Amino acid sequence: MFKVAVIGDKDSVLTFKALGIDVFIVSEADEARRTVDTIARDQYGVIFITEQIAKLIPDTIIRYDKEIIPAVILIPSNQGSLNIGMDKINKNVEKAIGSNIL
Amino acid sequence: MKVGKIVKVSGPLVVAEGMDEANMYDVVEVSDFKLVGEIIEMRGDRASIQVYEETTGIGPGDPVYTTGEPLSVELGPGLIEAMFDGIQRPLEEFRKKSGDFMTRGTKVENLDRIKKWDFKPTVKVGDKVIGGDIIGTVQETPIVVHKVMVPIGLSGEITDIKSGEFTIVEDIATIDNETKVQMMQKWPVRKSRPYKQKLDPSVPLLTGQRVIDTFFPVAKGGTAAIPGPFGSGKTVVQHQLAKWADTEIVVYVGCGERGNEMTDVLMEFPEIIDPATGESLMKRTVLIANTSNMPVAAREASIYTGITIAEYFRDMGYSVAIMADSTSRWAEALREMSGRLEEMPGDEGYPAYLGSRAAAFYERSGKVICNGSDDREGAITVIGAVSPPGGDISEPVSQATLRIVKVFWGLDHTLSYKRHFPAINWLNSYTLYQAKMDIWMAANIDPEFAKNRAKAMNLLQEESALQEIVRLVGRDSLSYEDQLKLEATKSIREDYLQQNAFHDVDTFCSLEKQNKMLKLVLDFYDLGMKALEKGVYLKSIENMPIRERIARSKYIEEEKMGEIDIIIQDLESEINKLIEEGGILDA
Repeated sequence: MFKVAVIGDKDSVLTFKALGIDVFIVSEADEARRTVDTIARDQYGVIFITEQIAKLIPDTIIRYDKEIIPAVILIPSNQGSLNIGMDKINKNVEKAIGSNIL
Repeated sequence: MKVGKIVKVSGPLVVAEGMDEANMYDVVEVSDFKLVGEIIEMRGDRASIQVYEETTGIGPGDPVYTTGEPLSVELGPGLIEAMFDGIQRPLEEFRKKSGDFMTRGTKVENLDRIKKWDFKPTVKVGDKVIGGDIIGTVQETPIVVHKVMVPIGLSGEITDIKSGEFTIVEDIATIDNETKVQMMQKWPVRKSRPYKQKLDPSVPLLTGQRVIDTFFPVAKGGTAAIPGPFGSGKTVVQHQLAKWADTEIVVYVGCGERGNEMTDVLMEFPEIIDPATGESLMKRTVLIANTSNMPVAAREASIYTGITIAEYFRDMGYSVAIMADSTSRWAEALREMSGRLEEMPGDEGYPAYLGSRAAAFYERSGKVICNGSDDREGAITVIGAVSPPGGDISEPVSQATLRIVKVFWGLDHTLSYKRHFPAINWLNSYTLYQAKMDIWMAANIDPEFAKNRAKAMNLLQEESALQEIVRLVGRDSLSYEDQLKLEATKSIREDYLQQNAFHDVDTFCSLEKQNKMLKLVLDFYDLGMKALEKGVYLKSIENMPIRERIARSKYIEEEKMGEIDIIIQDLESEINKLIEEGGILDA
């Protein structure tokens, strides 16, 4: 069984705990990178990460692009969206079918 | 002897009648100019003569005088440091007589008859000697002791032996009260000098060139070919080998190539100090030049002249390397003569016997037990350049050569275009001595050496497969492991294989240094892989500052070789630091 994780600042991600998802609270780039790399090897199938944190660690996000597991998915935080996540989805759709249909 | 009469002249080929007293391969003097020629075909009393000089102005009716002797070289002190033409006429003497360009029919002695050499006998009256035994020595140059041998075929008791200063034609010893022996002896070039027994080559010829010594070593007594398109660096590789190969004597035959290449040798060699002896490289080199502006027929002979001289030094118990640059010109000379003889042409007009002639030449290489009672060992390593037109080695000369030689250093135009010297393509070159050389390396350098070599070669082969993918879909589509592999092979190519022939330190790399450097570049791959596994980012491995030091390790002087070990240690600690910082240690 794969597990699901959420990574982000405390205010944004704490509520996920109510759903039974593992929550990792980080605030700095280095800490975030280490957390992603560690849990990626630990049976986590989906990792949600807030865009604010993802922005700090672009290399790490790219690293898991090519791998099937885990899926690293960017979500907006409580301060709103930076549109990085949506851009990524748009790009992937474009890559997959040749034009932007969204 | 009867005087023949010319009936036909066709370029360097002259046909003469009335030659029934002459024999095959006799040297003749053609016309009143006394041009040197050699009989290469006899039909009845008609002899076909290949003339080693310009035949302009020669016509039917002109006389031909036979000397009754086969084409021979004079062997004795005075060979080293000299430069001869294809039939062993010293070019310096030639210049004194006839000016900067050779005037035909000029008579010069092959070896200096006036110079006196200090002869030190090594046998005494009453000693029994056989052909090949050393009867005395002459210090020919500071590093070459010329050993005077009893001519092949002679044997008996020494009844008189002298000591002191003699010219090469003065008698120095008497055998059985009748045969006088001089320092100089003659040997027909087309006949290989005899030896007692051929041995299996087992020691590598160390050249100081990393790609050659590590990946494609040639054995002492082996044969190697360097085919490559024009401008790919055949001559530079040959020069590097002539400079740095660990042989006692080098015979360099410039056969049909440009004159400036021989000039380079003449200019550079005296200035380069051999690290092994501390003397100039010229003190062990014999040069034979038949450049492209010299008569074509002598080109055919130059190869034989060279190998006969090499055999003579081999018989003294030396390890000799002979470089022939280029055998293609020699084959073209054969083709020219064959065509004029109206023989049936084979592939591309080359004579049908091209293969057997080439084989006969390369067969004269080898590690042998020399004639004589002391069973000394000598070796001749033959390294022939081949210039296939357009770099296409499916042509006859390359193919004939490849059938015989055991080492193939394929030069690559794309590599030389990328300024990768030596441009030896590691994917299609090969050596058949590998197994034996591995044993030698394990015993003399490092038991790990063969393993490391195989590993580096594997990586390079995997690289070429990866490169194909990269060309199709781009580098980013590769996994991080494969990307690191590409980085590591780039390091093998650029930091290890590439070698600057014009850099004072990098031009020669000892085997110990090669071993350390190879370890270093492979360590980068191994440790990098380990770091990658621990979660370190590829980017941070790629950007490690120590890589600069790896790249510069080739410029570390031989005496300071220990610095490479320090780099290996530093590399390890830097990688460990990376793992600590960025890796997931508990993973």
